[in-house]
Amino acid sequence: MTTYLLRRVGQAIVVIIGVMIVTFALIHLEPGSAARATLGIRANSERIAVFNAANGLNRPLAAQFATFVKQAAEGNFGTSYSMHQPVSTLITQRLPRDAVLLGLSTLVALAIALPMGIYQAVRRGRAQDHAFTVVSFVLYSMPDFFFALLLIAVFSVQFHLLPSQAPQAQSVGGILSDPRGLVLPVVTLSLVSVAGFSRYMRSSAIGTLAQDYILVARAKGLPNRLVLRRHVLRNSLLPVITVLGLQAPAIVTGAVIAESVFNYPGMGLLFYQAATSKDYPVLLGSTLVVGVATVVGSLLADIAYSLLDPRIRYDHS
Amino acid sequence: MSHLLDVDHLTTRIRTSRGVVRAVQDVSFHLEAGETLGLVGESGCGKSMTGLSLMGLLPPGGTLMDGSSVRLDGRELVGLPEREMTRVRGNDIAMVFQDPMTSLDPTKTIGHQVAEPVLLHRGCSRAEAAERAADVLGMVGLPHPRERMSDYPHQLSGGLRQRVLIAMALANEPRVLIADEPTTALDVTIQAQILALLADLRARLGMAMILITHDMGVTAGHADRVNVMYAGRIAESAGTDRLFHGMRHPYTQSLLASVPRLTQDPEVPLATIPGLPPDLTEPASGCRFAARCPYVTDACRAQEPELTGPDEHRYACVHPTDGPRLPGTGPLAALPRTAAKPSENGAPGANATARPLLEARGLVREFPLRGGRVPGVGRRVVHAVSGVSFTLGEGETFGLVGESGCGKTTLGRLLVGLDRPDAGTVTLDGTDLGHLRGRELRCRRRDFQMVFQDPFSSLDPRMRVGAILREPLRIQGIGTTREQKDRVAELLAEVGLPERGADLFPHEFSGGQRQRVGLARALALTPRLIVADEPVSALDVSVRAQVLNLMKRLQASRGLSYVVISHDLAVVRYLADRIGVMYLGRLVEIGSADDIHLRAAHPYTAGLLEAVPVPDPEAERAKHGAAVTGELPSPVAPPSGCGFRTRCPLATRRCAEEQPALRSFGPAHAAACHFPLREPAPEKSAAPTPA
Amino acid sequence: MTTHDTGPVTAGPPQPGPPEGGAPASGRGAGRLSLAAFLHNRRALAGLAIVVLVAGFCFIGPLFYHTDQVTVHLELAELAPGAGHPLGTDASGYDVLGRLMAGGRSSLELGFAVALATTVIGTLYGAFAGYFGGFVDAVMMRVIDTFLAIPGLVLLLIVVSMFTPSLWKIIVLLSLLSWLTAARLVRGEVLTLRSREFVQAARMMGSTGRRVVVRHLVPNAAGVIIVSATFTVADSILMLSTLSFLGLGLPPPHADWGTMLTRGLDYLYDGYWWLVYPPAAILIVTVVAFNLIGDAVHDALDVRLQRP
Repeated sequence: MTTYLLRRVGQAIVVIIGVMIVTFALIHLEPGSAARATLGIRANSERIAVFNAANGLNRPLAAQFATFVKQAAEGNFGTSYSMHQPVSTLITQRLPRDAVLLGLSTLVALAIALPMGIYQAVRRGRAQDHAFTVVSFVLYSMPDFFFALLLIAVFSVQFHLLPSQAPQAQSVGGILSDPRGLVLPVVTLSLVSVAGFSRYMRSSAIGTLAQDYILVARAKGLPNRLVLRRHVLRNSLLPVITVLGLQAPAIVTGAVIAESVFNYPGMGLLFYQAATSKDYPVLLGSTLVVGVATVVGSLLADIAYSLLDPRIRYDHS
Repeated sequence: MSHLLDVDHLTTRIRTSRGVVRAVQDVSFHLEAGETLGLVGESGCGKSMTGLSLMGLLPPGGTLMDGSSVRLDGRELVGLPEREMTRVRGNDIAMVFQDPMTSLDPTKTIGHQVAEPVLLHRGCSRAEAAERAADVLGMVGLPHPRERMSDYPHQLSGGLRQRVLIAMALANEPRVLIADEPTTALDVTIQAQILALLADLRARLGMAMILITHDMGVTAGHADRVNVMYAGRIAESAGTDRLFHGMRHPYTQSLLASVPRLTQDPEVPLATIPGLPPDLTEPASGCRFAARCPYVTDACRAQEPELTGPDEHRYACVHPTDGPRLPGTGPLAALPRTAAKPSENGAPGANATARPLLEARGLVREFPLRGGRVPGVGRRVVHAVSGVSFTLGEGETFGLVGESGCGKTTLGRLLVGLDRPDAGTVTLDGTDLGHLRGRELRCRRRDFQMVFQDPFSSLDPRMRVGAILREPLRIQGIGTTREQKDRVAELLAEVGLPERGADLFPHEFSGGQRQRVGLARALALTPRLIVADEPVSALDVSVRAQVLNLMKRLQASRGLSYVVISHDLAVVRYLADRIGVMYLGRLVEIGSADDIHLRAAHPYTAGLLEAVPVPDPEAERAKHGAAVTGELPSPVAPPSGCGFRTRCPLATRRCAEEQPALRSFGPAHAAACHFPLREPAPEKSAAPTPA
Repeated sequence: MTTHDTGPVTAGPPQPGPPEGGAPASGRGAGRLSLAAFLHNRRALAGLAIVVLVAGFCFIGPLFYHTDQVTVHLELAELAPGAGHPLGTDASGYDVLGRLMAGGRSSLELGFAVALATTVIGTLYGAFAGYFGGFVDAVMMRVIDTFLAIPGLVLLLIVVSMFTPSLWKIIVLLSLLSWLTAARLVRGEVLTLRSREFVQAARMMGSTGRRVVVRHLVPNAAGVIIVSATFTVADSILMLSTLSFLGLGLPPPHADWGTMLTRGLDYLYDGYWWLVYPPAAILIVTVVAFNLIGDAVHDALDVRLQRP
């Protein structure tokens, strides 16, 4: 197992370096764009040159990249053009809030999707299976923003049950002390991922149910309920863990939408604001953070998988 | 009159997308305590479904029809509520399944899995259940059961996993044990061990056993009575001796006759059953075997015969035969006999004096283990092939036998250049294959071809058979389109398939027919050598005989040379002039077919031969226990000295210290053993290849 | 089946008469097994029917229902559904029904174009990596991992914020993002196929690597490729609507369902339901339909999910 993990960590490091190169290259896709974005479209070439010199943008790309890597390693992503704060401060403020929002919605999504997938697998091909299939496809096919606005229209505007604005508190504790405000963002984010998770769980469970060891378990005299709990659940969950790791980018995409609809002060909103105001240091820093988080996320998923699957845990070879 | 188990008019149907499959039709039998009933038949005959029906474990869409009755000690099980039935399963009736590799939950320890049914049915504490599990694991011969309880299935070999499955089934001392092909997935030496274990446990626990198998040899050795099943019905039912010596149903007769035997005269073709079993989605009219029966008359097609006769011997046939078909008698003998092959006119190995067609010298192939770098030890490797040499003459057949993991498949791939050896050479007709590269090698490939094991994976499912057969010609740029198409028609005729087969896709053919396509594809380039890796092991007995006969016929008509790789000694015996026995990557014995079968010098060869079940009740009963004990050592860390010493009854310290060299035991017969079963020939040691 | 007997070992050509191998068992023809499984799936048929209907509505509809989707008519703005405008008009005075057709054309064109580009790039890349394996494969897969690690929307936002969007630019951008998953899928499939015996058989005949990829691996991976293409159509249509919502979609007078929906949502609380629900409904129904098709093809191909 150790060799497997070492190889996996090695891959993750390679990918993180790749992410740095790509984000860096993206920002430099259009030379001078940073200056033009900050100074306005009427800036003349002289002022651009001054800006570039001041920000080190006129040095060779390789040198700029080296500086970028060095500073990124120190957690220094420069200062936001538009918010005039260090990017690292902006990010460290927001990351915990995202951990709350995304963690909660992923948990909710799994709590709904896993039983649903198993239920569909057991009832495969019957009316219940088809009904859940259609529901999950409709959820999946609904644009996130439309779903979010619909929730607001019904629960906030029509019935005044829940606030349409997410908690604005600075701290995690403050956010959690306003659970009502969290409901709609969490529902939006989770219901959209329910579809994906439950489809995957369904086909994984169908595969498990067809295994010989399930027949053996029934031949032992285990009632169906116990067969599902003891043998189907764990074996079907294993592949889903890996998918969870791969889902991270999709979850972030959802977060950008949900945070801008509900005005939740997280990374998604920060990112969206930076993109519209062309705040390159923020874009660069947050893309890098999100990319690294994704890589680490899927690495963690693989580690969890290898801990839960004895075939890898006790792999002597 | 009540027996331990009474099965009456058991009829099972399964609704599928293709229609309703009449999987089991009106099956009745009974079973006494301490008795073993064999259920024999080819795949799809309903024998496994009978077992599952008894357990109430039908697949989705399966139902027992009205009138079906299963009584255990007088208690009716059919129609029992599921809650009640779960108390019977794993408690009164238990089942052992075919594939030990997939039948254990990979995420639970074996101790947990064996304790599970105890906990479930006995209402005891966890500790007591674990205690019982340890006892049962010890009883089934798992070494150090207490220490191994916390092992996960993937840490055990196939043979040990099958022991765990048996322990699981026996944990509650069931009254009836259903063993569904319990040894089919195992090697022949392990098969002998498991069958001996089952027989021993049955006697000790006084269980009744239903032994489901396709293997007539296994049946002969281990069943008291036998039900032969065909197309969902019992065709014949009798005591084992009576069935083997005085069968009345032509199917039983043909089935037994088509099994290749170790004592087979390779000059006499195997009996075959023509055609294929019927499609069970279509209702039967008349005898289901009529289409393939040599004695068929109109009466057979008119009405389905009932299973009649006294309880000791019942059969469902309009024109019963009497006893086994002797070689050279019966309707098959009326067909034209073989013209002897030219190559077989001389003594075996007569061609070896000429320049050999194929020469393998000192072949070594090692596969590095992934992530196998261990500090201080260096890179660990699987020693798949370790120094194998042999030669093959024109028109000759060389058989390679050995158990799974012995390196025979790797050797086969080295011979045809699908893989390159780490050391040693393969010379084909004077050309060293190791020196050929790129285009040269691709061009040269027309001289040697390969037939693969799995007829379902060796043909591209998206290509029509015509395109599959044309492909080698197109790649090698032989002939115009017209000529290629003509060639395809010839090839199809040659392997006994209809011409319209060219327009069909592989999935429209049966396994045996696909294997014929595979042979035709190998023949398309008119090669001189064909390496066939387990060419018939995926096929049913009756179809297997057809393909084996075809291979012989093609060899005779085309002067082909074969290397036949198989775990089945009887198959190799039938096809091969010379045989090499492999163990842990080495050839431990090599010689003519008769040398190996009649004058084996290596204890492993002898043990392997002894372990093969023969379809003869007396011969099987005469055996005492398993001939080769223990498990195959890991090819990563093979034992020092002689690889076989860990399982050899004759091993001494010398075997651990010194690796035995091949010694001559006669012309072209050599074995690598310090304590051979025969006196070696006078000279000190001999090269494996007579020059 | 006839009662012919199998010839035992006979030298020379086979005798006339029925072939000894027997006739092929079934008349089920021409690789239609998967197709049959697909057509048996009612969900798939429903999806297919919807796609055909929607495509007909968008591409053939305008031939019968003429509207002006170019000139702004403020005097006709925000009319409720009624005579002349079955689904009313929007804030610029465009007929909503006609605009749904026009918008559907951009959405569908985008979806199909992205799927096509994705399939071609993904298949080539995946097949190449999977066939060659080893170091080449490792490098190619790390490249994919890298791009997958950066969320697609994030990449899009960065790039779109630099350029003025147009349908073609968005097609190119979405294709550059979507081929990653396709390539991964194809590569996985090719890796499995590569070890199958028919590929070894092709090598035994002297086939070149290129031929193996083109003749055996890609056709056999076709199922996976189709599935991924169908899902890509659905995802691209959704992604375009998300971009519209973020204000980075196609600029007017260009129409697409996402833009219509986004503009309509501004009027969600004003009772102008015809500006919200028609585009939402047709967008969701179309995306659902593509997903149903993809899911059914996936099921039809997955032997594991096949019924006995």
